[in-house]
Amino acid sequence: MVRFIAKRIALLMLVVAAVTFLAFAALNILGDPLTNVVGPLAEIDCDAVEAGSAEDRSTTLNNSKGDCEIVAEARATYHLDQPLGVRYFLWLADLARGDFGTSFQNDQPVSEVIREKLPESLMLLMMAQVVALGIAIPWGVASAYRANRPFDRASTIGSFGLLSVPNFALGVVLLYLLALRWQVFPSTFEDGNAWQRFTSLVLPAFTLGLPLAAGYQRLLRTDLITTLQEDYVHMARAKGMTPGRIMFRHALRPSLFSVVTVFGVHTGTLIGGSLVVERIFGIPGIGSEIVTAVVRDDFPVVLGMVVVIAVGFVFVNFLVDLVYSWLDPRVRAA
Amino acid sequence: MKAKAKVTDGVSARRLGFGFWLAAGWVLFITLAALLAPLLPLTDPTDVGVGGPRLSPSGDWLFGTDALGRDVFSRTIHGARVSLAVGGFAIGFGMIFGGGLGMLAGFFRGRVDHVIGFAFFVLLSFPALVLAILITATLERSLLVVSFTLGILAIAPVGRLARAATLVYAEREFVAAARVLGARSGRIMVRELLPNVAIPMGALTLLGMAVTVVAEGALAFLGLSVAGDEAISWGKMIVDGSGVRDLQQSPHVAMFPIATMFSTVLALNFVGDRIREYFDVRELAF
Repeated sequence: MVRFIAKRIALLMLVVAAVTFLAFAALNILGDPLTNVVGPLAEIDCDAVEAGSAEDRSTTLNNSKGDCEIVAEARATYHLDQPLGVRYFLWLADLARGDFGTSFQNDQPVSEVIREKLPESLMLLMMAQVVALGIAIPWGVASAYRANRPFDRASTIGSFGLLSVPNFALGVVLLYLLALRWQVFPSTFEDGNAWQRFTSLVLPAFTLGLPLAAGYQRLLRTDLITTLQEDYVHMARAKGMTPGRIMFRHALRPSLFSVVTVFGVHTGTLIGGSLVVERIFGIPGIGSEIVTAVVRDDFPVVLGMVVVIAVGFVFVNFLVDLVYSWLDPRVRAA
Repeated sequence: MKAKAKVTDGVSARRLGFGFWLAAGWVLFITLAALLAPLLPLTDPTDVGVGGPRLSPSGDWLFGTDALGRDVFSRTIHGARVSLAVGGFAIGFGMIFGGGLGMLAGFFRGRVDHVIGFAFFVLLSFPALVLAILITATLERSLLVVSFTLGILAIAPVGRLARAATLVYAEREFVAAARVLGARSGRIMVRELLPNVAIPMGALTLLGMAVTVVAEGALAFLGLSVAGDEAISWGKMIVDGSGVRDLQQSPHVAMFPIATMFSTVLALNFVGDRIREYFDVRELAF
């Protein structure tokens, strides 16, 4: 077990390194960090200015610093004079000390932004998973209990349909019906007491959780039907055990493997979905923040958010692996 | 090894059924409408004020008009162009690169497999939309860039499937026979393996397209879909119609594109799923 965990952690580190490097490189190569710091000044040809053949705009505006000084300063502060690999390691070293850098926009430390935005997003993700599992388990049990009967047929069609609903479409429909038409839930995020915050997250959680529930239901149904044909279930039935007891005491737990396996993968889908759903319902979470930061070309914030999301996602999958190997010892050997 | 009972949905996999043809017909209908949109007798989808603002659906305006008085029906038909084009290009791109890499990994195995497998793993470790945001935000958002970005997301799932299928077929006698006859690796991969791997991959194309059509919509919600007023997509229409005021005064502006997108995604999923069952493709990577 220790070896298994050690190997997993090594892989985890490698993946986090690769993911952060990709994000870092994408932003630095595809974008232009210098322009984002100093604006149009980045276009200035400093050699020409020194030679006197080009005009230095800020000195003519009675600025104490010349254009080129500002540019040089920015280059030095953000290590833009270093090659990409070096810059990545400098950034990584800062990160290891807990320093995520500061926002280009308002000099707010990125770690502070994350601390502000993360709780709402985490809450939303957890609520969405609770909604999904809370619906999927009874639903899956009910349809597997009488497989291929009318209820099961109907729910197979229902879950297929639900899986085809785009998150944002479901969000807009729920927003229209439950928040605007019948006004059961607030239409935008209410940043008041805990209860208001909770009710504001109910619709977004259902938006994310319903399609997910359909996914879990399909897996659980298939696994349950297989489990219910095992010898030990026949044995329990022969002993005269009630169907409810067989279902919940004997069949359900070993049938949850597939659901546990995809739990991690679906967390990724949820994170992606939550970016959009946070926009629709105006939730001040990681998703809204990353989009605003991207639009403003606020590199450090975008990177910080990507790191948080990627590390979180990798970590969840690591936990899923552990739970899975604990549930089923055969996995450890593989 | 214990015998696993076969679980069916109560429908024979050997018959495609009425639902399949209905769904396939819808996909065909939407595709034709998208292709022929400029030739159809529709009002100009970008023309502001062809009707009054926020008119409800009626005989004149089948889907009503939006806040700027544009014809929602015409925009929905034209919107299919960008949505389907992005979906199609993206999955095509994913198939070519993901499929190619997956086949290399499955054929050569060993170190090649490790490197490619790790690359797929890294790609999958990015929550999909985050990667798309990183790219579309920094580049100019043309149709090709958006398709290309969503295509990157398709590489890893498609690649894993291609690898799994290649692993199976690479063990078969006909591959050994080709090798004995002196065929080189490239020839074996193209002439012997590709036709076999292509069948399960093809079944996934439609399912993948459903995913990418939705992903384009998600990007639109983040303001990162194809730029410009000329480029109408279902996602952009839904965003335009789903402000609180829009929903209160004219819900039809958002609901018609939502219904069209949903039925198309549903049909793509259904057709893809039936084809997958028909050819008995087991691994579903999406």
